[in-house]
Amino acid sequence: MLHHSTRAANPAWYQAALELDLQLHIRVDGPSVASFFFERRKEQWTKGPAITEAELRDAAKMETCVAEILKQARVFKASALGVIIHLADEFATAELKPALDNPAALPDLREAAVQKPATILDDSSIPPDQNSWRVLPYPAQGSGVIGTTVTLTRKYAPFLTALRQIGEANNFPVITHALSAPLVAVMGLAQCAPFAPGKSAVAILQYPWFSALAFFNEHADLLLIRTLQHRHLRQAPNLRHALTTTYASLELIDPDLFIMSLGLDLDTGLHRELGHAFPLSRVTLVAVPNPDGVPAWCPEPGIAATSPAKGEAARSLTLGMLRDEKWALQDFLPTPKEIGEVYPTRAEMRLLRGLRLARFGLCVVGVLVLAWFAFGVVDIVRSDAWTFDPGQANIIKGRLNNLTTERQKSQHWDNLLEDRSKAWTSMELLSRLFPERCGVLVKSFAHTLRADTAPGQAKIGFVKEWKITGLARDEALDRLNTLNTQEGITSQFQELARVTGNPAFNPAVRTRSLAVNIRTQENNMFKPLPVDETFDTDESSYPFNFDLTITQRFEGTDPMAINVSKVN
Amino acid sequence: MNLYRQSIALFGIVLPVLVCALLIGLCFTLKSRTLASLENKQTLFKSYETSRLKALEIETKITLQRPHITHWTELLAEESSSAVNTHLRTIAETLPSKEFQKTAFERSSGKGGFGSAVTQPSSQLRIVFRGTFRTMQLAFLELESRMPQLQLQELRIDPNPNQQNPSPLLNFQVNYTAWEN
Repeated sequence: MLHHSTRAANPAWYQAALELDLQLHIRVDGPSVASFFFERRKEQWTKGPAITEAELRDAAKMETCVAEILKQARVFKASALGVIIHLADEFATAELKPALDNPAALPDLREAAVQKPATILDDSSIPPDQNSWRVLPYPAQGSGVIGTTVTLTRKYAPFLTALRQIGEANNFPVITHALSAPLVAVMGLAQCAPFAPGKSAVAILQYPWFSALAFFNEHADLLLIRTLQHRHLRQAPNLRHALTTTYASLELIDPDLFIMSLGLDLDTGLHRELGHAFPLSRVTLVAVPNPDGVPAWCPEPGIAATSPAKGEAARSLTLGMLRDEKWALQDFLPTPKEIGEVYPTRAEMRLLRGLRLARFGLCVVGVLVLAWFAFGVVDIVRSDAWTFDPGQANIIKGRLNNLTTERQKSQHWDNLLEDRSKAWTSMELLSRLFPERCGVLVKSFAHTLRADTAPGQAKIGFVKEWKITGLARDEALDRLNTLNTQEGITSQFQELARVTGNPAFNPAVRTRSLAVNIRTQENNMFKPLPVDETFDTDESSYPFNFDLTITQRFEGTDPMAINVSKVN
Repeated sequence: MNLYRQSIALFGIVLPVLVCALLIGLCFTLKSRTLASLENKQTLFKSYETSRLKALEIETKITLQRPHITHWTELLAEESSSAVNTHLRTIAETLPSKEFQKTAFERSSGKGGFGSAVTQPSSQLRIVFRGTFRTMQLAFLELESRMPQLQLQELRIDPNPNQQNPSPLLNFQVNYTAWEN
């Protein structure tokens, strides 16, 4: 619908014919058919195509006429055409049911006249498929009824249908409107009739085939409207009688008479005749001021298409209502409901158009989301982690486990195989504590090592102990005294660690402690002899014996502490 | 009137919105699944990288230690007591026989010394020698260098108790804890 129709873009499809910029007014009064184009913006009237009565009613000729109308309308380069047909060749009224005589029900009656006319008409014998009814209110006080219905036949409906169809076919809005010309003329009295205050009036609308009589009270409000057929004469034969009887029924006294001549070759003597017949009435010929291009005898197009200056329509309640509430502008031949409902309404077309933008927005959102997704996925796929084979993680984990186990094993054995206790270093200690010819004879040497048993520890410390007994001469006492100090024994261990390369003797480690104790006593076997008569192994040549104990403690936090647990 | 409003709303916006929502939902679901997969892979990748670097670091250290471990493994493959005897025989060949004499050798599989405090299997070796101080020191140096699994538990050095017949030979008694594999 959006692509193949201009309904969404062209608001004219949903406007009334009288609201469009280009209008074609066709006036049919029986003997003649007149047509005029009206350019609303320029307020300019031009002659329309020549149309005959036969072209309006004969289906065979209708097609060319309609095509010609459209062709001429295209010349104006308008986006739409409003075709308003003013029906001046017939006018009839039908009474409302007396039971519906309620002024408040007028809006409902107006609707019912279009939808279900049989429900409001007093005479139900008129076939609804051949006629069209519209309610016309009688606002004047004193009127016996609230209004009447104006009846027109549907003889021009096919012509209007053909116009609409060709418009649809050409995607060019052709909006039609059928008006009752007498009702429009009554509405136009507001602009031309010289209503006198406090004086009732009768408007005689003289058409070629009939005369319509509109009776107004002293406030210019409509009391009654009736029609008199001319019956092939130039005027209604019973006009004076009809006026007299209606005066009596409406209790009008010498009302003003306004004559509107609304056709070619009408009887021009009516004004004089009525002046003689009703000498006490003011008889006036009235004419609606017509725009250029429209003859004076067909004022209805000008009245319907243009609005009067402010105030003119408000001369009476009736004249104001006829225009403001469009009682006089009711469409007698509207588009049938079943055809109108085929097409979407204006709101639906607006919705359709608006939703197209919404869909476009959705498409944009969709594309953006897709792009976001695509770029995101590309970004992910390009990362190193994406191409990573998860199996490699297990392989490297297994390798790491093997290496860790190997390292633990290595560390374990490295720990167990530490040089924490060696026989040859202990012997070196002995030889450095007491070098040859230092005045000491060593009698025994014992070195023991025991582990600390601290349950629950990952590593345990140990204690190393050296016990040396022997004999000493005087010159060795200083040495023994030096060794018996912390500094003396520490320097000995330090030196031993350096020369043997054995870190177990390193006293600088804070997790180790070193203690020494030397007990010196006199040798009971000592026999003083000259120096040249003594030899080293003679125990009696040593005045002292001694007992040396060195204790070295390694804590559990020492680098040389032993691993308790086993590694597989 | 407004007969088409429902259809227009349905086909004009509801269905497109549903399709768009479906598309967006699909994209979000796929993206979140892909991200979850990526996170999983990243975790594995990070774990892999960490493990790889750690393995490299360990391997670098182990590479240096591997010859020692191989050597230790070979040493530990042989029973300690027989290995000690073998090495002592070898060592004795290089030393003066009068200054190095093995007088006793005892092996105990029971736990003692360091062996009683740790779970690593071990055996106790008690060896008695007679020899000179320096020769024995050389012998111990050689033996303990060849067999680092020997942990000295006790060393006693005593001179010959016979005062009437003094000798330069000393009595050596050593107790070792030998780590077994």
